[in-house]
Amino acid sequence: MAHAVSTTRAPHEASRRSFLQGDRFQMTAFIAPTCIFLALLTIWPFVYSVYLSVHSVKLTALHRAVFVGFDNYINLLSDSLFLRAMLNTGLLAVTSITFEIVIAFVIAKAFVSLSHLKWVNGLRSLFMIPMMATPLIVGMVFSYVFNPVLGIANYLLSGIGAGPVAWFGDTTAAMISILLINIWQWTPFMMLLIMAGLLSIRSDLYEAARVDGAKWHHVLRFLEIPSIRGIVLLGIILRIIDTLRFFDVVYVTTRGGPGDSTMVLTLYAYQQNFQFFQAGVGSAAAVIILVISIVITTFAVKLLRRIEDE
Amino acid sequence: MNNARLISSISIAALLAASAAAAQETDWKSQLGDHADKTLRVMTITDPFIDSMNAVKDGFTQATGAKVEIDGYGYDALHEKQLLACSQNDGAYDVLLIDGIWIGEFAEAGCLDSVEEKLAENADVFAWDDFTPAGAGQASWEGQRMCLPVGTYYELMYYRTDLFEKAGIKVPETFDELKEAAATFTNNPDFPGVFGYAMNNKRGAAAGQQWFEWIYSAGGKPWVSNEVGSQEPYKDQTPTLNSQESIDLVQFFRDMVAYGPPGVEAFAWDERATAFAAGKLAMINDWSVRAQIANDPQQSQIAGKFKAALMPHKAGGKTVSPVGGWIACVNTHGAQKDAAWDYLKWFASKEIHREFVLEGGPPSRLSAMQDKDVQAKYPWTEVLYEAQKESWFELRPRHPLAFQLIDTVGAQVNKAIIGEKSAKEAMDGAQDDVTRLLEQNGLL
Repeated sequence: MAHAVSTTRAPHEASRRSFLQGDRFQMTAFIAPTCIFLALLTIWPFVYSVYLSVHSVKLTALHRAVFVGFDNYINLLSDSLFLRAMLNTGLLAVTSITFEIVIAFVIAKAFVSLSHLKWVNGLRSLFMIPMMATPLIVGMVFSYVFNPVLGIANYLLSGIGAGPVAWFGDTTAAMISILLINIWQWTPFMMLLIMAGLLSIRSDLYEAARVDGAKWHHVLRFLEIPSIRGIVLLGIILRIIDTLRFFDVVYVTTRGGPGDSTMVLTLYAYQQNFQFFQAGVGSAAAVIILVISIVITTFAVKLLRRIEDE
Repeated sequence: MNNARLISSISIAALLAASAAAAQETDWKSQLGDHADKTLRVMTITDPFIDSMNAVKDGFTQATGAKVEIDGYGYDALHEKQLLACSQNDGAYDVLLIDGIWIGEFAEAGCLDSVEEKLAENADVFAWDDFTPAGAGQASWEGQRMCLPVGTYYELMYYRTDLFEKAGIKVPETFDELKEAAATFTNNPDFPGVFGYAMNNKRGAAAGQQWFEWIYSAGGKPWVSNEVGSQEPYKDQTPTLNSQESIDLVQFFRDMVAYGPPGVEAFAWDERATAFAAGKLAMINDWSVRAQIANDPQQSQIAGKFKAALMPHKAGGKTVSPVGGWIACVNTHGAQKDAAWDYLKWFASKEIHREFVLEGGPPSRLSAMQDKDVQAKYPWTEVLYEAQKESWFELRPRHPLAFQLIDTVGAQVNKAIIGEKSAKEAMDGAQDDVTRLLEQNGLL
């Protein structure tokens, strides 16, 4: 009897062992934790957001959700404040990233040119400090710096007979102030990328250009820009994603004002979700932000691949 | 007649003295339960009275053995944190101090236990009738007393006595007089570095609350059935945001920008209080709790140089003093409700409230406002007592959409203040926005 059992068990165990040692099982086992992690922390919240976005529901009464179809999306896309927030976010992305690239290139070039000097390394580290600071703290610091009565910015301006400036009190000045803060904080990041790109250019190429009589703008146009454009595009992608979730500084300094001049998408979604507890509208706004991010990122990644292929 | 009055005054004084003496002798150990080894957690705003709460909390520990931890958060963060915790049935905090205007939102989300039963059991200790009527009104919702109004504020106007003496002008009582006085101090070489007035102009809640705080004194009202003293203020919520009184008021806000410091269009509570304490403003209106900051020589350059007055009103009208502040409630999801109720019984009592007020807390009881020691320490308390007589607790909406509605109005008011829209265009916009919001949420 025992013998019979062992003979039937043996092939079963052998087949189990071979299954456990098989590629298919091992691949599944290695991938499973990541899939579970993504499903729980990314896919499920996203699916739930989409579910909420087609309901009229308050965050404090989720059990009283009423299905409204695409009403929340239609209302959002006809809401002048939401459209203004989209426009402001786009403006902020284009303007700040453009300035960041130009300023970062100049500074990176200076650091590369002076890299033989010992003290330059220390200076480069100091230059990184703004991007290490928490954006919320940056916002608070600048709300003091740009305080029209007691702030140091107007105090310094008064020293040269200028100002005072209503940094956050005027629609144009407020947007420029937000841009300045954003550029100040994130130029070091772009500088770091560009510097890495510049340092990767072989010195013999510079030498060859010099021998060929190339001027600085020839070097810039035919050697440096082609060499760094891949890494700059990567930087642009990361900064666009950053700008789409730009929130803290606006939240602390202007709350989207004066008027609607500095309202951005994330602040709008935050207000709907966590100040007004309108989870349906807030989720619809979040889904739209996600779709915009995916479209831009997909386009940019394709562009990046094309550049790499070239 | 005079003799009768004298006798009745002496009797009342004797009664008050006797009750004060009795209050001082309260044996809290017998009044409260034993909560040794418990830690009671209180969540509140980081307004100046949090220090006063901390200053008196050891008394509760001595009486019950329970430790008291008081955590403070900023205004928006507190609202967000308390409501989110409630939606998740979170009982981490036993006592919640909420803004009086949030009560509808919290009551309808099922976050609070009603205080009615406890009041009936301990009527003498809770002494409900001693709370200012407007404060008591704020702590009630749909006919039920839900919380205890321990941190009631009234909005007053503060003015620099030294500057007014030098200018030789009277304290303004009407909007026109306020404009004139503000103009006197602005860009005047006799008052270098001083501006006349700074209003709460920042986009959103700041400008929105300002509109609600001033509208009754401007002769208007926020919606149809919300008359001062109305028994059914929410019966007809059709907004009246673009009434002539409202448009005139918003135009007045716009005009006042000329008498503020540069950037005043983005000023909210903190910027105004800081500028006043720094001696840059001749006048501001602010919640009574912030007078402490201006009167603290450590933080202020104008300590002892200012006085309070009632808020100004439209010529021919009268001041309806804005009421606000914080009400203490028991978290319905809390696990230590006995200790929480005992804490409120103790903290809201006349005796401890007086201690709390003498430590800098906002006087919320009539007895505290009339207390000679309190009046001597905080001279504006007498004006506060006058302000509470003509106040209306439904001045700002208190229903579940209050936060969003105030923000919506504030966005439009701010557009008029910065000149992006005329006062009429802005308030027509506010009327449309608020009507749509109320309709979408079934309130119209």
